[in-house]
Amino acid sequence: MLRPIYYVAKATFHEAWRRRFLNGILVFAILMIGSSRVLMYMQPGAELRMLVDIGLGSIRFFGLLIAVFMGARLISDEIEKRTIHTILAKPVSRGQFLIGKFIGGVTTVWSNIAIMGVAFYGLVRLTAPRVAAAAEGESWVYSLDLMYGRVLGSIGLIFLELFVVTALAVTFSTIFSWILATISTFFIYFVGQMSEFIHQLADPERGATPVAAIVLGTIYRILPHFEIFDMREAILDPARPLPWEHPAKVVIQTCTYVVVVILIGYLFFNEREV
Amino acid sequence: MSKSSFARYGGWLMVLILLVLLQPLSDSVNYERLIYGLVRPMPATRLVEKDFTVVPGVIAGAILGGFREIAAAMIWMKSTELWNKGHGTELKYLSMVRTTTLLDPHWLEPWRIAGWHLAYNMYVEADKIPDPELRAKRKAQYMQMGVDCLKEGISWNPDHYDLYFELGWTYFDKVRNYDEASKWLSHTLQFEHPEYIERIIAHAYERKPEMQKALDWYDYCIKRNPADGTAYGATLTIHERYLTAWRLMEEGKYDEAIEEANCYLAVAPNNILPLHLKAHIYEQAGELEKAYKWWSVAGKTALNAHARERAARLARQLGKEVPPEPADIMRQEQMAVPERKF
Repeated sequence: MLRPIYYVAKATFHEAWRRRFLNGILVFAILMIGSSRVLMYMQPGAELRMLVDIGLGSIRFFGLLIAVFMGARLISDEIEKRTIHTILAKPVSRGQFLIGKFIGGVTTVWSNIAIMGVAFYGLVRLTAPRVAAAAEGESWVYSLDLMYGRVLGSIGLIFLELFVVTALAVTFSTIFSWILATISTFFIYFVGQMSEFIHQLADPERGATPVAAIVLGTIYRILPHFEIFDMREAILDPARPLPWEHPAKVVIQTCTYVVVVILIGYLFFNEREV
Repeated sequence: MSKSSFARYGGWLMVLILLVLLQPLSDSVNYERLIYGLVRPMPATRLVEKDFTVVPGVIAGAILGGFREIAAAMIWMKSTELWNKGHGTELKYLSMVRTTTLLDPHWLEPWRIAGWHLAYNMYVEADKIPDPELRAKRKAQYMQMGVDCLKEGISWNPDHYDLYFELGWTYFDKVRNYDEASKWLSHTLQFEHPEYIERIIAHAYERKPEMQKALDWYDYCIKRNPADGTAYGATLTIHERYLTAWRLMEEGKYDEAIEEANCYLAVAPNNILPLHLKAHIYEQAGELEKAYKWWSVAGKTALNAHARERAARLARQLGKEVPPEPADIMRQEQMAVPERKF
């Protein structure tokens, strides 16, 4: 049962790495991460915060581009080019095909994130001690060891975030053409960034009507909450504790959500005429 | 029901069950994010409450793409450009600075500039209003907005010296509320701070007047640095000129205290410290009319909002016509609405 999934995933991974636009995005992302060393001086007195923000922001943003543009084409391209018939003619079920494609897509995204993460982490290790030394005597107090750990934690959360994005893109690609799948994934991503705002809108104490409270409340419950993957607020602040239970919960929540999304994708894909 | 439709409905049921099971975990994660301070402090959507035109498309894209600090820096640069072109007192400039604080509330500089800009520049800008009552009201509003802005900045950055000092200084220098000034300046002492902070606190007590507390703070300054000439000189001045009157007032010998205060007033009739002392002694003696008169005299000296506010407060107590004084309006409104939002 697992062998077909492995072969589909492996083929997807290799095919994705051959796509030039993905390689281009990766190169551009690394250039952007490198330039954060210069751009951090845009905020005098808060250089490290700027460095962390640009670096992690770049990884998220370019990782998002890779996840969406690649994920949205994984299934729809196979359908549009009719190559799916060749694969499904072999002893590969639709479920195995979908999971294999998803795993191949996720490993591609994660490998890209890993490369960007290593580049950024190296940059932080090189730059942070110098900035912290220059800031000595000012009111900012940096705990470098804590910061390094939390930067790694944040990169880990980006892995999880793009896990969800890839799942969404793959699921949309089972339903729509790749263009529509791309637009839908971006839309859900941006709305998911504002899920807390939707939650507030659904609050009757803030003036939501009963109907609005139900509709918006349901949307909030169904939407992915992308804010949970962002811990930039705590990276430089030693006063903010982060017990391990919290990331563990985020991992469980993410994995469950991905299972839900892929299951929905499977249900649509299973019904679809190819 | 066929096998395929059973699988289909079973699949959707599974999706529903998983989504329902996910909710308590999701709520718990969101709650913990709030507790651990991981929540992004200012949702980008709050920007719509402000002047949205200051956020061009590129910057809005940067915000949504997760580059919030870059967006803040870009708006900050645009606001600086506006300032350099002489448009610093326009509402657009204020909206830009405020948007910067919304986008990156842990960047101290925009908070400082916004607070200073409101309490100082916009305050002076209100001089253009011809109606004195409206003018005083608008000035009070700008001072209050400056103070509120700095307080909000502190709430996002409680572990940093800068905004405590800025707020303390605004109270000391602009609002002339010496109680609040000494309170907020005292908060800066928990951080590494320059030597003059304790001296400013002492000055605040001196002007209030609270001579004993002023002496205590000067005494601390001298013990910390015996070469502190300012603290040494101020201590000598208080001892020579005001301490006798202060002690007599504490003993309830108000007439003698007034006579003592008059001794120095005869030499320097426009010096605010003996004027404040004299008014304060009358207030302690319960002679509110005379206290009002002397606070009013002190209030005629330049920039003495503290005396004018005290005079206005006494005028209200005595049923007199209250002159429009921004510091007084600010205090009244603060008493009516303790928490305000900028």
